[in-house]
Amino acid sequence: MDTLDSLTLGFSVAFEPTNLLFVLIGVVIGTAIGVLPGLGPTATIALLLPITYTMDATTSIIMLAGIYYGSMYGGTITSVLLRLPGEAASVVTAIDGYQMTKQGRAGTALGIAAIGSFIGGTVSIIGLTFLAPMLANVALAMGPAAYVALMVLGLFLVTSIGTGSTIKSLCMAGLGLALSTVGQDPIDGSSRFTFGSVGLLSGFDFVAVAMGLFGVGELLHSLEKSEHGQAIKVKIKNIWPSRKDMKESSGAIARGSVLGFFIGVLPGGGGVISSLASYAMEKKRAKDPSRFGKGAIEGVAGPETANNASSTSAFIPLLVLGIPSNVVLALIFGALLMHGMTPGPQLIAEQPNLFWGIIASMYIGNLMLLVLNIPLVGVFVQMLRVRTGILIAFALLIVMIGVFSINNSPFDMWVVLGFGVLGWLMNKTGFDPGPLVLAFVLGPILEKSFRQSMLISGGSLEIFVTDPAAALIFGAIALGILYKVLGTRLKRRKKTAPVIPAESVDIDS
Amino acid sequence: MVTSILEAGQRLERSEDETLPRRAGLNRLPALVLFIVGVAAMIGAWNLSVGSLQHPQPGLWPFVVSFVIALTGGILTLFPEQIPLEAWNRRSLGVIGGIVSLGVFIILFETIGFIIPAILMLVLWLKVFGGERWIPTIILSIVGSATSYLLFAELLGVPFPQDIVLNALSWIGI
Repeated sequence: MDTLDSLTLGFSVAFEPTNLLFVLIGVVIGTAIGVLPGLGPTATIALLLPITYTMDATTSIIMLAGIYYGSMYGGTITSVLLRLPGEAASVVTAIDGYQMTKQGRAGTALGIAAIGSFIGGTVSIIGLTFLAPMLANVALAMGPAAYVALMVLGLFLVTSIGTGSTIKSLCMAGLGLALSTVGQDPIDGSSRFTFGSVGLLSGFDFVAVAMGLFGVGELLHSLEKSEHGQAIKVKIKNIWPSRKDMKESSGAIARGSVLGFFIGVLPGGGGVISSLASYAMEKKRAKDPSRFGKGAIEGVAGPETANNASSTSAFIPLLVLGIPSNVVLALIFGALLMHGMTPGPQLIAEQPNLFWGIIASMYIGNLMLLVLNIPLVGVFVQMLRVRTGILIAFALLIVMIGVFSINNSPFDMWVVLGFGVLGWLMNKTGFDPGPLVLAFVLGPILEKSFRQSMLISGGSLEIFVTDPAAALIFGAIALGILYKVLGTRLKRRKKTAPVIPAESVDIDS
Repeated sequence: MVTSILEAGQRLERSEDETLPRRAGLNRLPALVLFIVGVAAMIGAWNLSVGSLQHPQPGLWPFVVSFVIALTGGILTLFPEQIPLEAWNRRSLGVIGGIVSLGVFIILFETIGFIIPAILMLVLWLKVFGGERWIPTIILSIVGSATSYLLFAELLGVPFPQDIVLNALSWIGI
């Protein structure tokens, strides 16, 4: 089947009334939680996982994906209006976006962000449409050794490109892998680390772990903050950017689309890094870099385009290789597993409806977001009036019911509470729960591939060097480590030079 | 990656020359705990029998990953990173209260059903942690609990444990 036929099939799936409805629900929830501070896409998707149990697989992934890219739009609104990023990928937008608001150009900033997001997202989906099937063909030829290498690469990139400390992230990845071994051994069925508990025999439920670490952990953490609902006093006008604005930002949007697409494809990429990279790039290219930080429209257009492009292209490694490149996609990966589907190169051939349906829904979702964001931005802004206290109380109640409903077992409620406490403590001690969850998801597959490789090679680790694909990937990892070590040295030397505050948002710190 | 907005916001604010609080002790404690967990898991995995690379037994993989935890935990214990952490304050005690309340909720849920624990929990979180006034608190908790019961138990068919409120209602004939 060629790509266009497949895409037609995808649209026929995406245009089914239920799916259309859930794209809409997804992007509306996404925009809403992007606006609400304190509840990011990760927490929301974690909280909604139990509900997707009862839904059709395609419909549930369509909705979750909509939440993810929808939140990229929504996060912009509070960044621009209040200098309060609704989610992490919009942090960098706050710099110039808020300055534009101060100059009375809030509407223009929001308008250009929405247009940029739409273009970035769409470019990225087109790339996804054509690149994914090709990549899947390559990936089908890979053996288990290359898979081990690929997953190690994924974990490596998540631990090193992420913003936290590398050793701490590595430690969390180890913990995640260890936690995933709790339960029955995948090959001989003997129980591991269950301490005689029947509840632990089937292992920790992924949903309970994710809801605990991201949902309950974040909610507990927010108790320590005194945030109050804020009303917006700024008048939003001139949402459609003028021709001059469009001209000024068209370069930034074009570069942001391409940059975001490629960063998103890399394991470990995704919204946050791509928006930071785009901002840095625009600033470097500008004739007058001093305008940045004072309301430069490129500083809004570029990052917003890039974060949307990357949040879309990040679906490539997930759907084609089975490697979630960030935490949100790890949750979506988990949702697919719950429905009995293992994302990987065989997914396109075995589940064409699912695969192409998701892709087609993204074209529709992006269009919906453009329509929602330009005229309805005022409605979403009103959501800031919802008081955090009420939100937290109800979110917790729903978490507890939701987690109980997975297996109808109070044991999972204790698991969610336990991981909630762990998530809160990790927040307090500077450990990132992201690598833990990612490793927890990848753990069983990594172990299986590792054992298979050992069987093939007769117990020799040489297979990871003699298998060409594995050797290539491990070579890339080695280069990455080298670069990281050298990079840290260089940075230390540079530290004596004065630094402009805006640059303290560092890409690889 | 930046997981919380607040952290991300702090990154924006934080300038390079900020003086770091040097409380290495507090930085070391979690690392030490992880080191101990790693070592304990290594021992546990060894007892599961490790086998050889050619014939891996159930313990081999857990042994490898526990080693990663122990190693990184050990490094972090010896060389703690000087990253400014959030201070512990009085509100942190509130969080502990919140955790206890969730534990109590689970125990009550198992014994007396959903409705009473749900109302109690909402009252606590809205009034004490959320700082709402009494009237909205009471209305929201009762309406919220009833709605969630109808939504989850009746509409979605989640089998909640026996509920004493509903039992009592049916006993008096409602």
